[in-house]
Amino acid sequence: MKTFEEKFTAWVDGRLTGAELAAFERELEARPEATAEKQAALQLGDLLRAHIAAPPLRNPDFFNHQLLQSIRQQQPQSSSAPRRSPSFWSLPRMAFSGAFLLLLATIFYSAAVPNTRREVRHNQQYVSNILNARSDDPDITATSFHSKENNVNVLWLDGLGYMPRDHKLK
Amino acid sequence: MSLDGEPVTRSITAPAAAPVVPEDGDLVARCQHGDTAAFSELVTRYRGKVYAMIYNMVHNEQDAWDLAQDGFLKAWKSIARFRGQSSFYTWLYRIMMNVTIDSLRRRHVEGETEFDDSIGLRNIDPNSFTTPRTEALPNEKIAGDEIRARIDAAISRLSPEHRAVILMREIDGMEYQEIADSLGCSIGTVMSRLFYARKKMQSMLRDVYENL
Repeated sequence: MKTFEEKFTAWVDGRLTGAELAAFERELEARPEATAEKQAALQLGDLLRAHIAAPPLRNPDFFNHQLLQSIRQQQPQSSSAPRRSPSFWSLPRMAFSGAFLLLLATIFYSAAVPNTRREVRHNQQYVSNILNARSDDPDITATSFHSKENNVNVLWLDGLGYMPRDHKLK
Repeated sequence: MSLDGEPVTRSITAPAAAPVVPEDGDLVARCQHGDTAAFSELVTRYRGKVYAMIYNMVHNEQDAWDLAQDGFLKAWKSIARFRGQSSFYTWLYRIMMNVTIDSLRRRHVEGETEFDDSIGLRNIDPNSFTTPRTEALPNEKIAGDEIRARIDAAISRLSPEHRAVILMREIDGMEYQEIADSLGCSIGTVMSRLFYARKKMQSMLRDVYENL
């Protein structure tokens, strides 16, 4: 259902036809000034068409040049290679993870490695002491080996009649 | 060979090939693959009409230039989404209208313009055919420059939407459906806006067109 304004506009522009036009013209019979108003609207259109003229675009080539320059300036931001999705390993995360792993390593080192080292060092020192110790008895020979079966380092002493008390293995 | 043994030479001249003018759709397809030269051709094709339309809305050459640049840049950015449901020009026109109307609204908010929709709503009863007269100078002939100034002043008092419909209809000769597509509204809205825009313009310019 068209409003009065819509029908009037269509009537001025000659867009009403058939039954719609007839019905609207019947409606306008009670308005004798309607024809004059239509004429005024058409005069207005003629006036606008006769006097509205935009000046031509100056420097049309420069218009294109400026536009293409703007496009090129914006292209690297918008149409270059698609942006990589952000990696999980951002710099702060990498730094945090590094610090965390370092802490773990330190804990592990202080919890496990040093004890072993101490034992090894202790054993090595003991072996060293023995190996470096002078013996007057040339029949005493010392051999050291690792027993895979028992997972121990074995110091094998041949010809040793007795073990000095201060070198007793603990 | 001819009868007397002379070789016959025929000059075969191909009809001058008319330069192939690519369709808008072909240029658009190239633009969608990033071809700026194709876009430049589309700009060349429509810059004059677009500039004139914007100029008639804003009445300032520099503003019209800037808005046309802005509109074409927006068109380039969104051309990948153009699916061809309407003609390229209608689609472009819509972008230009949005850019121009937004600019006019911004300027209105910033107090640079004085358009006032209430001109029509307050003074014009749609059921009354009597439009108020302004500055009527009976039987006085008005010079061309003055007419243009009066028209510009009258247009500048219309809201951006009313400016758009009356210029598209009266100057560009667009159909209601084209105007509706360009403005993103219904045909009924276009016709209604046109009714009030005409009434307002008549109220401001009646003495001009009656005394020509």
